[in-house]
Amino acid sequence: MTSQSTFQKEYEQWLEKTKQLMERFPERRELFHTSSGIPIERLYLPGTAADTYQENLGFPGEYPYTRGIQPTMYRARHWTMRQYAGFGSAEETNKRFRYLLEQGQTGLSVAFDLPTQIGYDSDDAMAKGEVGKVGVAIDSLEDMEILFDQIPLDKVSTSMTINAPASVLLAMYIVAAEKQGVPKEKISGTIQNDILKEYIARGTYIFPPKPSMRLITDIFSYCAEHVPKWNTISISGYHIREAGSTAAQELAFTLANGKAYVDAALEAGMDIDKFAPRLAFFFNAHNQFFEEVAKFRAARRIWSHLMKNVYHAKNPKSWQLRFHTQTGGSTLTAQQPDNNIVRVTVQALSAVLGGTQSLHTNSRDEALALPTEESARIALRTQQILAHESGVTDTVDPLGGSYYVEGLTDKIEEEVYSYFEEIEDMGGAVQAVEQGYMQEEIQRAAYETQKAIEKQEDIVVGMNAFKLDDEPQPKLHRLDKELSRKQIEKLTQIKDRRDQNRANARLADLKYAAGGSENLMPYIIDCVKDHCTIGEICGVLRGIFGEYTGA
Amino acid sequence: MKKQIRVLVAKPGLDGHDRGALIISQALRDYGMEVIYTGLRQTPAQIVAAAVQEDVDAIGLSCLSGAHNELFPDIIQLLKEQKAEDIIVIGGGVIPAEDIPFLESEGIQKIFTPGTPTIETAKFIERAVYERDGISLDQPFAVNQIDHIGIAVKSIDEALSFYKDTLNLTFEGVEEVVSQKVKVAFFNTGNCRLELLEPMSEESAVASFIEKRGEGIHHIALGVEDINSRIKQLQEKDVRMIDTKARTGAEGADVAFLHPKAAHGVLYELCEKQTRG
Repeated sequence: MTSQSTFQKEYEQWLEKTKQLMERFPERRELFHTSSGIPIERLYLPGTAADTYQENLGFPGEYPYTRGIQPTMYRARHWTMRQYAGFGSAEETNKRFRYLLEQGQTGLSVAFDLPTQIGYDSDDAMAKGEVGKVGVAIDSLEDMEILFDQIPLDKVSTSMTINAPASVLLAMYIVAAEKQGVPKEKISGTIQNDILKEYIARGTYIFPPKPSMRLITDIFSYCAEHVPKWNTISISGYHIREAGSTAAQELAFTLANGKAYVDAALEAGMDIDKFAPRLAFFFNAHNQFFEEVAKFRAARRIWSHLMKNVYHAKNPKSWQLRFHTQTGGSTLTAQQPDNNIVRVTVQALSAVLGGTQSLHTNSRDEALALPTEESARIALRTQQILAHESGVTDTVDPLGGSYYVEGLTDKIEEEVYSYFEEIEDMGGAVQAVEQGYMQEEIQRAAYETQKAIEKQEDIVVGMNAFKLDDEPQPKLHRLDKELSRKQIEKLTQIKDRRDQNRANARLADLKYAAGGSENLMPYIIDCVKDHCTIGEICGVLRGIFGEYTGA
Repeated sequence: MKKQIRVLVAKPGLDGHDRGALIISQALRDYGMEVIYTGLRQTPAQIVAAAVQEDVDAIGLSCLSGAHNELFPDIIQLLKEQKAEDIIVIGGGVIPAEDIPFLESEGIQKIFTPGTPTIETAKFIERAVYERDGISLDQPFAVNQIDHIGIAVKSIDEALSFYKDTLNLTFEGVEEVVSQKVKVAFFNTGNCRLELLEPMSEESAVASFIEKRGEGIHHIALGVEDINSRIKQLQEKDVRMIDTKARTGAEGADVAFLHPKAAHGVLYELCEKQTRG
């Protein structure tokens, strides 16, 4: 009792002294706040966060997993270093993949070009200028086989950033693995398969929400049965954040989308513990360091609560939120690009201290073009330095117990629950997306950020302050100008070589099945085996499902 | 007198990153323009049709997929075919510097790269449209007000109490202007501010000023609009400038100094605040 009152007295004295000092030396701003608008106090003290340790934090590897999903975290094994890569042709990307594996990368992550992501073949009129630009062009099974040539698919786990046509690319991967002699039960990896955030922020949608949700639940149930080591979805906040949301919005909208997928799978008759352990998440690591760490910790606590207490999952694996992180692409500046290495380091550290399962660190030149090999290597080295040299991996959740971080974790959690309420009132995430609610919230936040930068309330080093008069132009990665022509040639040859009658029959079967309610995965796998192209498969589905044209 | 400028903001190509397009749409609206946004994945033909139908003055293209070299020239070509080449076309997105000369030679008037303040884009469109329509935008040289008076001091800490407690002026805070190697403190006097300048290094211009002439009045800052045009006007009249291009000064304002020899021994600063928008 006495010590408490002594503390109070000393604290008040300190406050008084500080006030006097501030009359002469005011603070830099009147109000400090996080990206989510959470006010930041001058000093955090004991008692900032709720002090029920077991309930709010628990032990790592135990509910509510605030401190991490494994008891030993990085003392046992570092996170998976997974650099997103892909450009040009399958041959070129295969070379980059093998280079990255040689350099010590531990998992693959495929970037597809936009025609592939939107279900067009390379020779489609819509693909003009886009073939092989932001990722690798995949038209048919043969491209997929070249992409993973000499890469053992039973040993490497592969993440594929593919959404609307996820079932087609997964089917190609399964068949390519089988042709290597690896059965589908043994392959591991992730497909992004998160269509809701495409409508909200990323834009590579094809079909309207309802049939898209069916394709997703078809994948859930097919994989639960046949591809048990596959993560069937990576519910992504990354792009929501890139579109300009705050940290709290990123988390709230992502987890709300997560609930929508769980609801859809339950409605399709699946048992929660059959698919929930294969759900994965994907978050952004942005600049405000402590807020990011708090965001990751809050994410685990909220999800485990939802799964255990709202959805009544029994398997602890269903309660655990596992996530991949990528550093924030929109924080990179085109000006003085080497500075981006430092930004990426700080962001990556927040992901590590937030307990990520895998990590992509951006390359310094990504605001300008696709990364050069040298830039991609520095990005990977950044992770290796954090893992092997910094010592931050030697204990579990080193920021746990920080008055500030615990306080922020609670605050972010509160914000997320209040967004949940608003979204529930609209009828859930699918309805909120259809009404454009999340899109508007994000756009408002993005515009506020832009204005703050232009008024120099927010400083971006090298861009609106500390500028150089003469920016040297860095060397950029250039693509093969002939690529599109070569890819179209290859596609024509495949179509000439295949058994056209068989391909037609497979597409007709798929069309019939799409009109009914059967699981479409086996039909798509059959199409892929007989060399139907992604444009043909998605074309059939477009005919039945229609196309989405915006909220 | 001023006409309402109509702009079509369009996203050619397949990428779904429309944060930039949405921000620029909002910023142009806030500037007073009418803006129509096409939405994602528009073909060149769709964009040109919309531009003609909506009778716009300008098209802003945003592309982050890398397809700009193929798609932007297609749009220019289609505009010509539609006899709508008087529509001003600008572009932005992830566009490497080395592609810009090609795009500009194809008829894109200007490419704005990441980090460009939206106001700059708005002013560019306004100027281009007015020039096309033969309306002169050039304002005569004008000064709004004395923005502030700069006073060189050896130490802000020592001078602070005189300004704050004796003169009882409102203290607005201290800032370091790294590029000038000075620390500055602002006081508000009502209609003009005082800026105390303390050198942070011996190489600072303020340090050599104090060494030569002691503490005292250092410069007078004149508030102007469109600072780079004002600089040009002075140069046309053979006024020698220390800064021939505006640079960033305290509080993020764009500033440029005149040479004191050209101004009867007074060091004048032109100063434009970034407040609009």
